[in-house]
Amino acid sequence: MPPWDNFEPFIVSGLALGGVYALSGVGLVVLYRATGVLYLAFGAVGALGALVAWSLITRAGAPGWVGWLACIVVAAAVTFGYGLLFGPALAKRDPLVKAVATIGLTLILYGAMDLLWTTSGGQARSLTLPTDNGGFTVGTVQVTWTQVIALGAGVVLTVVTSAFLRYTKLGTAMRAMANDREITATLGVPVRRVEAAAWLGCGVLAGVAGLLLADLVALDATTLTFLVISSLAAVLVGQLRSIPVTFAAAILVGLLHDLLTPIVALTNYRDMTPFVIAVIALLVMSRHRVIVTSREEA
Amino acid sequence: MRRNMSVRRTIMLAAALALAVAGCSSSSSSSSGAAGSTPAAGSSSSAGAATVDTSSCGSKPGVKATGTPIPLGAIATNQPGTSFTDIPNMAKAYFDCVNANGGINGHPIKYYIATEQTNPAQVTADAKQLVQTDKVLGIVGSTSLIECSINSSYWQKLGFFVIDSGIAPECYSTPNSAAVNMGPRYSSDGAVQYALAQHASKIVFDQSNVPGTGYIAAGPAALAKAANVPIVQLTENVPISDASSVAIKEVNDAGPNGAVILNFTPPEALIILQAAQKLGLENRVKLWGCSTPCNTDFLAQSLGAKWDGKLFVNAELTPPDGTNTTAMNLYKAILKQYGTSVQGGIGSFSQMGFTEAEIAVHALESISGPYTVQSVNAAFKAVKDFNTGMLCQLWTYGDYPLHIPNNSDYTVTPKDGQMTTSQGCTPISAVDPQIAQYRGAAGTAANAPA
Repeated sequence: MPPWDNFEPFIVSGLALGGVYALSGVGLVVLYRATGVLYLAFGAVGALGALVAWSLITRAGAPGWVGWLACIVVAAAVTFGYGLLFGPALAKRDPLVKAVATIGLTLILYGAMDLLWTTSGGQARSLTLPTDNGGFTVGTVQVTWTQVIALGAGVVLTVVTSAFLRYTKLGTAMRAMANDREITATLGVPVRRVEAAAWLGCGVLAGVAGLLLADLVALDATTLTFLVISSLAAVLVGQLRSIPVTFAAAILVGLLHDLLTPIVALTNYRDMTPFVIAVIALLVMSRHRVIVTSREEA
Repeated sequence: MRRNMSVRRTIMLAAALALAVAGCSSSSSSSSGAAGSTPAAGSSSSAGAATVDTSSCGSKPGVKATGTPIPLGAIATNQPGTSFTDIPNMAKAYFDCVNANGGINGHPIKYYIATEQTNPAQVTADAKQLVQTDKVLGIVGSTSLIECSINSSYWQKLGFFVIDSGIAPECYSTPNSAAVNMGPRYSSDGAVQYALAQHASKIVFDQSNVPGTGYIAAGPAALAKAANVPIVQLTENVPISDASSVAIKEVNDAGPNGAVILNFTPPEALIILQAAQKLGLENRVKLWGCSTPCNTDFLAQSLGAKWDGKLFVNAELTPPDGTNTTAMNLYKAILKQYGTSVQGGIGSFSQMGFTEAEIAVHALESISGPYTVQSVNAAFKAVKDFNTGMLCQLWTYGDYPLHIPNNSDYTVTPKDGQMTTSQGCTPISAVDPQIAQYRGAAGTAANAPA
């Protein structure tokens, strides 16, 4: 086992990574609670936004802020458009169908990105934020402002979203829809409008997460598209319902993943972290379910 | 409420399934990424003014070849994230040029390009399709993650002598394949050799965690051992999702006088190097090195000035920037006129395609009788001391049990967004036992240093 000071740099990188996973996870939970859709295209739309931003900044010479804004707008537009177009048709379908439909969107976007931003001929791209150039040092560890923003965004989003769902009219409507869409509709809640707001919010989060992940991880369609998997593990731990638990699980995934890096025997298995955490959580939850069922039977 | 619970459980099950499926697709993506085993990527600078008339590619300028076609074929990997089609596409551009300027003694070359997605059955079928349906007489320009491993025995059985760009070990270690590039192992050797020459006190060699890493790592390990310098071998799952951790680990392992040598595709190498830069790690080691895939202006431009003179990249082919030779100008002119399907433009990929086609045309022109599998492959095998204008040394196929005809390299470093030459042609050390074996077989051992 390496000495403790070898782990210190990995705490910083793990927290930053966990923060962005939390951002994605919270977006997934909010959308699921409002629409019943597990949005597996979250990573792909973020990747699309980030690649559009890269094209605007690098190819078209647009100012950085235009590119960053475009990233969020593109991700929001695609998600909102998908929600408007397919949301009503899928509203009464089985949850599995809804989730699989978003895999369809993922594959279409992934194919389009591979076509439009090919890696043929050794092409490599990057999207760096100005916050990479500043930061501070903790001991011997350099912390960039982007890392701070990543963690901060996760924390702020968790607090704000929790408050939003609890204290606002729209949030209450979303919570009601999570329980029963039909009854909520009969109570006069404009379900289409509430769902549209959820799709839009989720898209904005996908754009923000895409932007941060393109900087912190990589500007690569494959990487960003499938990075949603790590967030999905956190969402599972939060049982698709609890935003604080999702946040905590996301931080745990990021932290554990990076802390395994200096351990030689485990370093090549660190990518399994989200899967292991998800499996353990599912096992614990299923055990709890058996106990509850037994009580009910008794 | 109970229904909601059931729905939630269903969707959680779906999510769990998605996790499992994604886990599979992730590992598949890792192997397909095969970062460590990609051939050279290249410079991407604009083609510039091609001053050479492309008609010099053929024996009868301006005369279109109308004779019986000579069918040739290639197999290239083409899948999301990994595409080597630029190489056969550039070979096709060269053949198109030759066909428009007299062909091979009046015969045009008909070129078939089969693509594959790292599926062994598909790679086998591609070879059979080329041979049995398209009736190709030779294989030129193949570049695939697995083709050499899968089809090597098939080509031997049919008597085909393949001219390719190598990735898998069998592209270099079998009698029927000769590559124009050095491939991941010998390119990594070159990068480690440069670091050792700069007196690095420790080597950290990091590459993608894909099949064949042991074969690649054996070369750098032999070089470090011979120099009595400790070496740490690392592998990373690709695509890399935690570049900061990877960079920190590499720097910690190397120490202030050590060198970190990377063997990844350009996108993966770029994210590691950028992560190092963001964390201020670029100056925490003596130098950073990279095998040939990093030799791309895309990378130099993305990295910026902080890496100028800090990152040293092995280059298997003559750097196109600033090289003003007949072959280089012809390559640029053909690329401009015929290479519309070459997406990466100027760079090592298209240079390789050009070189392979150039060698094939040179061999075909030496045939006086009919063009058959026997005559075409005998001509390929007989190529000796051919000056491609793209390599450090003359290119020979020869009747050897293994082929590493390109075993002398350049070292380049980024400067002002371009890769510039840092060290001229330097033979790869014969401390690597495979290099020693090849030089022994080819009779060139006496001309190269250990």
